[in-house]
Amino acid sequence: MKKYALYPGCLMPTEQYAYELSLREVFPLLDVELVDVDGFSCCGEPLKSINKMMTLYLAARNLAIGEKQGLDLFVPCPMCHFSLSECKHVLKSNKEMRDKINSMLASEDLTYKGTAGLVHTVDLLHDIIGVEEIKNRVKNPLKDLKLATHYGCHLLRPSEIGRPVDSENPQKMEAVLDALGAKCSFYPEKLDCCGAPIDANLPESALTKTGQKLQAIQDHGFDAIVDVCPWCHKMFDSRQSKAGETVAAKLDIPVLYLTQWLGLALGVKKEKLGLHLNSSPVDKLELK
Amino acid sequence: MSIVDLTSMAEAQAELRKEINARLAKLQNESSEYCFQCAKCTAGCEAHKLLELEPHKIVALLKRGLIDEMVNSDVIWTCMSCFKCWERCPQKVAPVEILNALKNMAVASGKQIPGKYTAMLQSVLSICLIQDVQEVTTHEGKTMKRDTLGLPPLSKPTDASKFQMVLTKLAVEKI
Ligand code: SF4
Ligand code: SF4
Repeated sequence: MKKYALYPGCLMPTEQYAYELSLREVFPLLDVELVDVDGFSCCGEPLKSINKMMTLYLAARNLAIGEKQGLDLFVPCPMCHFSLSECKHVLKSNKEMRDKINSMLASEDLTYKGTAGLVHTVDLLHDIIGVEEIKNRVKNPLKDLKLATHYGCHLLRPSEIGRPVDSENPQKMEAVLDALGAKCSFYPEKLDCCGAPIDANLPESALTKTGQKLQAIQDHGFDAIVDVCPWCHKMFDSRQSKAGETVAAKLDIPVLYLTQWLGLALGVKKEKLGLHLNSSPVDKLELK
Repeated sequence: MSIVDLTSMAEAQAELRKEINARLAKLQNESSEYCFQCAKCTAGCEAHKLLELEPHKIVALLKRGLIDEMVNSDVIWTCMSCFKCWERCPQKVAPVEILNALKNMAVASGKQIPGKYTAMLQSVLSICLIQDVQEVTTHEGKTMKRDTLGLPPLSKPTDASKFQMVLTKLAVEKI
């Protein structure tokens, strides 16, 4: 049994419940124990435009809490995973900054050492559990489905700080979905942004981005979308109808988290995977 | 009027340029001095077509020390943080980090913070997360929250006052 401290971040545990429900359901089935740890806060990434020092502090703080548990962190949100990865990257070679942050962390009895490892959903499944292992556990193969993968910018780039997937030709989700019996194919917009990062200050433009990408995917003839980020999912799923209005298109494409697809293939009941919470038209897939 | 028009009338600010370059160095980013204006960053920029952001011009303006115009322009707030410019720059310059530095400067100089950023900051200061638990509706029309969905309580700092104290101090800190 592998064991990780679950770092939930903000968006998943306060509204993107389908992601949390489904990952808590599927990982134990694959012999991964997720440990709930008290004390975490925002990862800092959403505040980067305001004050990046704050971002680094918050990231280091959460990493220090993980280190105290002696566990690596499982970070299902790519934004959080980015923030924590960048913090590790910066503090590794900047001792001055590390000392400064540690002097502030002392008030909460925390120290950042840089020892905790990080995994995201995609590398946990692909690199650690492994595609073969997943394949062996499949009960209901995802047959006759053509799926479009969306990794999300924060998971892909920049490779300099260490990302779990290839920046220009990511294939790990494809490999996992292939093991589940589904077919994925390349589409030119695969690496494009979902729009979420400017939703805070330019919501119309954000929805335009969302709508444009969804429309392109729909036009390519995909049956559904697979994502692994609560921010992207919020745009693609929760706000799909608004995005459709914004780009004046009839959008009608199911969007599921990778962990939801996985759960379905492993034979988990739909409700336990939070499928009753998806706003996109998941019913049209007639999933068992 | 575009930023470039504005800057043709501007005075260069060498000190601010130094400050940004020092910050980039602390963050392990390559100096903007290495930029050779190939515009590969702009070619892939997610905010280019939709919102007319041109990261190569941002770098050029920084090199000339024309900082105030950028800090005062709305265009720095159009970046979507897609990191394509950082990933693809042949000189390892990270225009996205220059934009973050400019936005941080705008905030520090007391300019109004656009959109929901202030609300998110206030939320982190008070409840340690960008928002509190939200209600969602199921396909059957039932209203649910974490607890009714059977999810465990939120992870939060054990001593919120200590957390808040450091964060309030940090709000005025620079890199
Ligand atoms: S890609 Fe790099 S070198 Fe080319 S213009 Fe942009 S910042 Fe300059
Ligand atoms: S990170 Fe910002 S500036 Fe860089 S390519 Fe993406 S949207 Fe453009």
